[in-house]
Formats: sequence, C-alpha cells, structure tokens
Amino acid sequence: MLYMPPMKGFLGTGATFGADLNLVVQLIMGTALIAGARLAKHKRYKAHGICQTTVLLLNLFMIGLVMWPSFRQQVKPALSKGLHKWYYEVAMLHALLGTTAELLGLYIVIAAGTNVLPRWLRFRHWKWWMRTELVLWVIVLLSGIGTYCAWYVAPFQ
Amino acid sequence: MTGKNVWVASFAAAVVIAIVLQLAGSPSVAANDQSSAANAEVKIDNFSFGPQTVTVPVGATVTWTNRDDIPHTVVSTDGLFNSKVRDTDEKFSYTFAKAGTYPYYCSVHPKMTGKVVVQ
Repeated sequence: MLYMPPMKGFLGTGATFGADLNLVVQLIMGTALIAGARLAKHKRYKAHGICQTTVLLLNLFMIGLVMWPSFRQQVKPALSKGLHKWYYEVAMLHALLGTTAELLGLYIVIAAGTNVLPRWLRFRHWKWWMRTELVLWVIVLLSGIGTYCAWYVAPFQ
Repeated sequence: MTGKNVWVASFAAAVVIAIVLQLAGSPSVAANDQSSAANAEVKIDNFSFGPQTVTVPVGATVTWTNRDDIPHTVVSTDGLFNSKVRDTDEKFSYTFAKAGTYPYYCSVHPKMTGKVVVQ
C-alpha cells in the first residue's frame, strides 16, 4: 500500500496545502465578517444574514476538512502527556476559542434566522451578542495565525 | 651477534610484528565499520532530516531523533513505518529487514523528505 505525502503548501512555509488553503480562507472569511457587520450597520439585514451565515458554514467545512484532522493527528496524542510545550498550548487555546466562536455563531444564526428555537431559548440583546461574536472571531483568527506560525514557520525563516 | 644476524633478526621481528598487527587489527576495524553502519542515526533539525540519505545493511536499525523545537513525524512512503508525532528530543526507530530504497517524509511538514537505502 502506498502512502501519498500530503500536498506541499503554496505559501513557502513548511505547511501542507490544506493548512495554507485554510489560512487564506480564514483571512478572507474574517474580512467578510467585518464587511457583513457593516451591512447590518447600513440596515441591509438580509445581506448581513446571508454573509455571516455563509462564513459560519464555510468555517464548519474548513474545520472538518483541515483543522480537526490536524488537531487529531498533531495535538490530541499529546493531551495525555499534558500541554507541556508552547506549541500545544497555542493550538489548544485556538481550538477552545474556535469551538466557542463556532457554536455561538451557529446559535446566533439559528436564533436570529429561523423559528426553530422556542421563545425562551432566544436571547434579547442581539447587538451585544453579535458584537461579542465578532470580537471573539477576531481573537480566534489571531490565535489561528499564531498556531500556523508556531507549527509551520521555521524560526530561521 | 654479527651485522648480518642483526639485519635478519630485525627483519624477522618486523615480519612478526606485522603479522600480529594484521591479526589483531583487522577484525576490530571490520567490527567498527559494521557497528557504525548497523546503528544509523538521523537527526531532525531546522525542518530537515540529516543526513537526507542514509545507507545501511539489511537488519540495521535506523533511529530518528527530533532535535527541532517543533513536533515531526517519520512516515514511509510505501507504508512500511509510520511514527506518531515526535516531540523535541523524542526518538523513533525502525529495523530494516529487506534490501531496498525506502523514501519517507514528515506528514506535518511534507517538504521534509529523506531516504533509507538498505543494501
């Protein structure tokens, strides 16, 4: 049985193609979320909803395609030994914050865009929660860039 | 002892010393060669395997040691061996039972490649 090495990345670091693609997609999605927030400010709520929902679902796809497999291969085996190295700590922090942001985002989309949830499960302060989600997303994006640098960019480069 | 006898004795002594050195020295040289080839070491440092190609005899064990400050793996392209993620200073060893050429790579950083030649 032949094992094909993962495709090499295109950003000139040591990363796989998947990791490089994920980084570029995440930067585009971060920009799209900020643009989507501006749509709401201009009262274009339908476009705002479509934009933020698309980013959220695309991120879910990227988690399944790139981030979860990488986490399972590279970080999960080290969890039993404790997070004894900084590169595991930054990846774990990114995973925890990222999971929180994704779940909160999905909750906001379901609560704001559908009637699936009963009334008592919906929140009231929409703007506050959406702004909190945006800030959290930016923090996750920055921690993701940190994780990428820690794992794939050699100190000498 | 005459001058002729001195020369004969010196020649005989030289021949005896040469034979003794040959008998005593050769096996140890051969043993050292075998030893170094059978226990090949590959260092993982600065996002590369060093040496990139290592040649060993059949039955030799190759040990990879991660000297980098980031985890790496050692994965054979033909599926012969597949290490888990190795942290800094952790090792992975594999014994090669058959002759052949075995290319390998790091699955975390696919630019990192190496080769084990088993003769």
